[in-house]
Amino acid sequence: MPPPPPPPTLTDTAGPLGPGEVAGTVKPVDLPRKPLVLGDRSYHWVTEKVCGICEQKTPTWWWWSFAIACGIASFTLMGLVYLVATGVGVWGLANPVNWGWAIVNFVFWIGIGHAGTLISAVLCLLQQRWRTSINRTAEAMTIFAVVCAGIFPLFHVGRVWFAWWLFPLPNANWIWPNFRSPLEWDVFAVSTYGTVSVLFWYMGMIPDLGTLRDRAQSTWRRFFYGTLAMGWRNSSRHWHNYEMAYLLLAGLSTPLVLSVHTIVSFDFAASILPGWHTTIFPPYFVAGAIFSGFGMVLTLILPLRAVFGLHDLVNQYHIDAMCKITLATGSMVGYAYAMEFFIAWYGANPYEGFAFINRAFGQYAWAYWIMISCNVISPQLFWFRKIRENTALVWIISIFVNVGMWFERFVITVTSLANDFLPSSWGYYSPTIVDIFTFFGTFGVFSVLFLLFLRFLPLIAFSEVKALSLPQADPHNHDHPQNQRGQEARG
Amino acid sequence: MSAARPQDGVFGIAATFWTAPDIYHACEKVRDAGYRRWDSYCPFPVHGLHHAMGLKRSRVPFFTFIGGMLGFLTGLTIVWYMNMDYPLVVGGKPYFSPVFPFPIFYELTILLAAFGTLGGMFITNRLPRHNHPLFDYQPFLQTSDDRFMIVIESSDPAFDPDRVRALLEEAGGEEITVVAPGAQAA
Amino acid sequence: MSTTGTSTRSSPAAGLAGAGSRRPLPGLLLALAVAGIGIGLVGLGTGLSAGDARPVISWLLGFSFWTSILLGSLFFVMIFNLFDAGWSVLVRRQLEHLLAGFKWIAILFLPLLLIAWFYRDPGILWKWLNPEHILPNGYTVATDALYQAKEPYLNKTAFTLRSLLYFGVFLFFANALRRNSFGLDEDGDRSRVQRQKVLSGAGVFACGLALTFAAIDWFMSIEFHWFSTMYGVWFFAASMRAALAFLLILLFFQADRGVLQGLHRPSHNYQLGCIALAFTVFWAYISFSQYFLIYQANIPEETFWYNIRHMNADGTTNSWWWVGLTLIFCNFLLPFLFLLFYKTKVRIPLILFVAAWILTFHVVDLYFNILPSKSAPADNVLNYKVRQFTINFWDVAVFVGIGALVLWAYLTSLREKGAIPRRDPRIREALEHHE
Repeated sequence: MPPPPPPPTLTDTAGPLGPGEVAGTVKPVDLPRKPLVLGDRSYHWVTEKVCGICEQKTPTWWWWSFAIACGIASFTLMGLVYLVATGVGVWGLANPVNWGWAIVNFVFWIGIGHAGTLISAVLCLLQQRWRTSINRTAEAMTIFAVVCAGIFPLFHVGRVWFAWWLFPLPNANWIWPNFRSPLEWDVFAVSTYGTVSVLFWYMGMIPDLGTLRDRAQSTWRRFFYGTLAMGWRNSSRHWHNYEMAYLLLAGLSTPLVLSVHTIVSFDFAASILPGWHTTIFPPYFVAGAIFSGFGMVLTLILPLRAVFGLHDLVNQYHIDAMCKITLATGSMVGYAYAMEFFIAWYGANPYEGFAFINRAFGQYAWAYWIMISCNVISPQLFWFRKIRENTALVWIISIFVNVGMWFERFVITVTSLANDFLPSSWGYYSPTIVDIFTFFGTFGVFSVLFLLFLRFLPLIAFSEVKALSLPQADPHNHDHPQNQRGQEARG
Repeated sequence: MSAARPQDGVFGIAATFWTAPDIYHACEKVRDAGYRRWDSYCPFPVHGLHHAMGLKRSRVPFFTFIGGMLGFLTGLTIVWYMNMDYPLVVGGKPYFSPVFPFPIFYELTILLAAFGTLGGMFITNRLPRHNHPLFDYQPFLQTSDDRFMIVIESSDPAFDPDRVRALLEEAGGEEITVVAPGAQAA
Repeated sequence: MSTTGTSTRSSPAAGLAGAGSRRPLPGLLLALAVAGIGIGLVGLGTGLSAGDARPVISWLLGFSFWTSILLGSLFFVMIFNLFDAGWSVLVRRQLEHLLAGFKWIAILFLPLLLIAWFYRDPGILWKWLNPEHILPNGYTVATDALYQAKEPYLNKTAFTLRSLLYFGVFLFFANALRRNSFGLDEDGDRSRVQRQKVLSGAGVFACGLALTFAAIDWFMSIEFHWFSTMYGVWFFAASMRAALAFLLILLFFQADRGVLQGLHRPSHNYQLGCIALAFTVFWAYISFSQYFLIYQANIPEETFWYNIRHMNADGTTNSWWWVGLTLIFCNFLLPFLFLLFYKTKVRIPLILFVAAWILTFHVVDLYFNILPSKSAPADNVLNYKVRQFTINFWDVAVFVGIGALVLWAYLTSLREKGAIPRRDPRIREALEHHE
């Protein structure tokens, strides 16, 4: 067939033009990218802004918050002391629900941690520059969330002083761990996750600690930050290795974060219980974890931005991006709910089918519909720009996400156990006051750690912000006003 | 400011720059002049500066690889060792198989690879080193805020104070200073 | 617009350049397509007259291979639009041209639908399409308890309507995205950029669901007793990888002697190589998790699917065991290790090699998922044989035929529309992309 004559527009197919020639023929429509840092800030402004937060005199609100957080954390302490002194029976666990709030809380907290790793690692690999404004906070959140998560399985073992048996260490009875058990995999997954998150967080902080050391006025600050900075001196030869190491750690953390929640999902999915054993669990749990983590990042970062006046560093661009990720992962979770339901019917296993009907319409239907409305429906609001731009509303939705994801774990854990194969052994699970205290207190534990982080460590990775979010950092950007005359740029 | 003379106790000659493009082009000049023992100091990793400085690809991945391999083998070894004379029948699984303990191998691979990476970064950078002659040069501390600096070290075989100074001046450097830890009092 | 019209240059090297080409490449491809598809149809005919399912499966294999590539391309176009990255703009246009083949793929599904409606045993490929089909246990499909439970979903009418719906969704988004993107070249209307994003956002959802259920209908239901919630994700992962590998090969030729000479550079390949690495891991993750959970829980309702991919009815290891191992090592481990290295991602011969490698083993993965099935009668007490791994002449013909048709559609589209999205807001970033 004869090719149609080329229309008299720009759409004709050129022969092989040189790159220069093609560059001359393109006419991009004008749609400039939004700046990642508003206000055309200088390097020095960024340093001052972030370092100022941990160099200023401790604000009064910090002390108040810290006192309240300690108060809340004491609930966990009391709950655990009572548990150790009495026994795991003080929790609401009873046949048939032998996994109650403890596992729910464990999965909830560990899931929250995942957004931190996602922001620091996955977005790093995807070269998403906007991550630099929030990655430090998110990584801190990861570590503190893992601390909170670890409490629950640790004490769930009952005799917590024997918890070290979980590790493959020789003991007098020659009892070795059972490597077929998903709970044993958890030990490795969670401890690796915690350790690698700390390494990643710390390595990312070394240059910023160096800056704090160089700015330090008092001796103890110089000693504290100097020790932690490891003698970092901003050498380009060091940066070169450092960037490679950072990239590699990001590359290692990405499969790690996937594997951790995958293994957490194996706790359920490797069993044969209806509602637990389903092959989509690994990616579904990972998506849910990222979803809940972004919920928590939004919950934390929006108030921080207001308190510390970080509106130029964490601006609408960042909020938009986080909202969109929340929307995407929330929808993935919705997809997984739908697939579970469909395959429960398609698989034609009556127990499996019952498990899902029971979830939606049985004695825990209230929890199920809280989960659906918080996790699937509420993030759909982020389709609308108006809502993404309304900070208060975004914050409220982020709370919904947190609540919804807690309920997701509750629904999964409890409904399947409470009504399994044998109707004569069905039951209804209720938490005791000790369950509630212990869980409530973990928010205090988290807050205490987070407040300490805010006080002593740089809450924004400012060397990365300078490198990636400021346009004048591009060595080929000669036209930038701050690169015109170096001397003037010092302001 | 006295003219620089080759003398003991001189660490090198430092020049300050104010912008990323400036340091980038200056580094290209120093690289082309053939110096080997020199370095630039920037408050953040300037994109592509390793090309301008003529640096080779980093060797950190080697340490990561070693760590990862060690981790994998550690996992394999502990599971094999602890199961070989410990017959445990759970879920119809064999006594040893690469399938069920795979999560263990996997996590240990990542754990030790991460340690290898961090360790590799410290080893390739010869860190920690809390004391360094440059820390005594007060303006150097600004490189962690918003300044850029090139230091050509006196241990370079081609180090000649006058020519170094001329090169740095030509490259646009300012506040060209001899960094000599002992002589800073002056 | 002084460049208009003057930029069309004829060059002997412009073999893939479309308008400037003197070479009869599109004609050759069309001839190859007709020949390949014709042979495939002959194969279908012989298979149907002999009651042999294997040539019908050849058709499904060839169809699914190219469908997976086009589906992956569709998703990449949408994802590139949503992410608003600069480097991907040039690459995206190639994928948009590739999507021109979707309508042909949709038409090529028709023979399978016709078999379902008009052949004497509609269940020759999908057993449940024919309630009278005899199962290995000697009973008909209609008496099978699982079939009875699934009948509202697994029936001829619903299957046909669903397949039409899937292609409706895919074609709608593929065409809308293409039209909008080419339209931007012509009118430079800025609102098209936003429309492109909205289309992509909605498209990811709609196509994601359509792809999932298509995978269930076309592949999973071949063994209709079996079920896995992960299956749609597996097909998604495999499709993305296949599309990426095919794209890398396409880009090699376009950069070497086609429309992207001097424009497509190692830095673009580096990005694509990284994504290829990510999807290699993702494919392995999904495939491993599915296997692992079924292995670990050890429920016979599910394990039989892997059992027939391991051993015959008498317990002897069959050809699929080797195919499975090949998948682990050749579809995951080797490409993974290979892609880890920076040099693989930027050196053209290496990346070309690894892309071809991935495509090859993607084919094996499709064989592994589609081909093995129990067939009766057999001289063992369980009365079934497992259809073994074989590659026959019909397979090759259909693969080549459909592929040639898709490539022909691609080249025709390239000839008619621009090779470079000249008015894309990020086109300069793509042209100037460096690491």
